[in-house]
Amino acid sequence: MVTMTKQHLSRITSACSLPLLEEIAHKIEQEQRVRVEREPQTSLIMTKAKDSVSGQPFYLGEVLVTECTLSVDGQLGIGIVIGRQPLRAYCMAVIDAAHNAGLPVLDQWESQFHAEEQRIQEQHALEYARNAQSQVHFDTMEEYNDKR
Amino acid sequence: MGYVAVTGGQKAIEAADRINQWYRIKDAAHSLETIEIEKQLRHLTDRVMSEGGLYASEYAALAIKQAEGDLCEAAFLMRAYRSTLERTYESEIIDPGQMRVIRRISSAFKDIPGGQMLGPTMDYTHRLLNFTLENEQAHVLQELLKEQIPEFDTNQTLSFPKVAGLLREQGLLFPPKSSGALFDITRDKLTFPAPRSAKLQILARGETGAMTALAYSSMRGHTTNHPTVGELRVGYVEVTIAYPFDSSESLCLGELMLTEVETINAFERDDQGDVKLRLGYGLTFGQNETKAIAMAILEQGLETKGETPSQDEEFVLLHVDSIEANGFVSHLKLPHYITFQSKLDVLRQTQKLAESEKTETPKE
Repeated sequence: MVTMTKQHLSRITSACSLPLLEEIAHKIEQEQRVRVEREPQTSLIMTKAKDSVSGQPFYLGEVLVTECTLSVDGQLGIGIVIGRQPLRAYCMAVIDAAHNAGLPVLDQWESQFHAEEQRIQEQHALEYARNAQSQVHFDTMEEYNDKR
Repeated sequence: MGYVAVTGGQKAIEAADRINQWYRIKDAAHSLETIEIEKQLRHLTDRVMSEGGLYASEYAALAIKQAEGDLCEAAFLMRAYRSTLERTYESEIIDPGQMRVIRRISSAFKDIPGGQMLGPTMDYTHRLLNFTLENEQAHVLQELLKEQIPEFDTNQTLSFPKVAGLLREQGLLFPPKSSGALFDITRDKLTFPAPRSAKLQILARGETGAMTALAYSSMRGHTTNHPTVGELRVGYVEVTIAYPFDSSESLCLGELMLTEVETINAFERDDQGDVKLRLGYGLTFGQNETKAIAMAILEQGLETKGETPSQDEEFVLLHVDSIEANGFVSHLKLPHYITFQSKLDVLRQTQKLAESEKTETPKE
C-alpha cells in the first residue's frame, strides 16, 4: 500500500496537471457518495515568515486562496490552494476526503502521481538551470590586472 | 472644528464615473487583458501585491487596470478587497532559507556557498530605450529563448544556505535589541514602542517610494551608516498550514515569490566588549528588490538610537503606508466648505479686531 504525507500529496496536487485531478475526482464521484460541505470559495491565509535576525516570526501579509470542504462516504476532506482555482480546490478536497475514507486513491493513481511529481521537479530544475546560466564571479580590478 | 460632511451630487458623481471610463477606453484599440498586465508587468503587479499586503497576482493586475496604473489607488483597491474576505488560517512559519532561488547575490562576499546567480535583473543592463519592443513578436522570442535550454539535473539542490548563517556561526552577529510578542497590525492597535514583529509587518507592506526615500536619507546625510548587502535572494517559498483535521500533518498550498535581503551594518561593541556586526532584515512579496533593501536599512535604523528621522519609530512607521499617506493627502480634494468658511470667518474677525484697535489707538 502506498503511503504519503498530506504535505507530500498536496505538494503534488497543488501544482500538477488539472485534467489529471479532474479525472481522479470524477472517478471517485462515480463510485462514492460525495457531499459538498463548503463550496469552493476564496478566502485569506495570513503568512508568517521567519525574521532571520531575531529568529522570531512576523506576519508578512495575506495570500488569496481557494478553499473547499466536502465528504466522501462521510469522511471529511479539504482542498486549499493559492489563487482563484475553484476546480483545483474541489478536486484536491475530493482526493483528500477519499484518502481519509481509506479508499486506495494513492495505489490506483500511483504512477500518475509519480510522473507528475517528476514533471514538477523537472520544471523546477529547468528554471534553476536557466537562471544558473547567469552565475557570476566578479574579479576586483586588482585581480583583473594581475591576470593580464 | 471637526470636518462637516456634504451631501448630494449623486448625478454628477455617476457622470464622473462614466467620463472616467470614457477616458480610459476612448483611444484604445482593444481593452487591456489583465493577464497581460499580470504576466508582462511583473514588477508593477508585485509592487501592488506588496503594498496592498495581499498576494493575489490576478487581482493585482485587475486593480492596476481599474486604477489606470495609479499604484496607490491599485494598492487601495487590494486593501479594500481583502477586508471583504474571511481569514481562515495562519500559515506555518515560512523560512526563506529554504527558498527555491532564481536569483541570489552578495555585495559583501565574492564567493558564497552555492555561488552568485544574477537571474532576472536589469542591474547591469544599459539604460537605453529598446525600440525593438515596439514590434515584438512574443512567440518568436519565446521560441528563441526556449532553444537556449541548458543541461539540467533533477537532483540539483535548488535552495542554498544563507550568507548570514556563516557570520552567525562565527559569532560575528548581534542579536536584535527589540523583540516582543507576535503582533498583527491588521487586528491589534499599534502603540509605541512597537514590537519588532509589528515594525517588520508595517515595512513589509509599506510604500516603496516612501521607504526608499527614508532609507536614502539614512544613508546619505544623517549617519555614516552605509550598509552592505550580505545577501539578496529572490525565489519561491512553499506555503503550508497545519492540516485542519489533524494538526500533526501539514498541507502545502503552493508557492509564493519573495525577495529577501540581509544587510550587514556597522560593527559595534557589545556589553562584554566584543565587536560584532548588526544585521538588517527585509522581506517582501514578489520581486521588489529596492523595497526589500530599504526595509532592511529602515528596520536596522529603528534598532539604533539617534536623532535622525529614519531612527524615529513613530515617524517612519506612521508615514510609510501607501493607503494612509495617499488617502490623507488626496482627501484634500474633497469638499471642505465649512472648515474653510470658518477659517475665513476667523480671518475676517481678526482683521475687524485689528481695524478697531487701530481706530481706537489715540494718535500721537
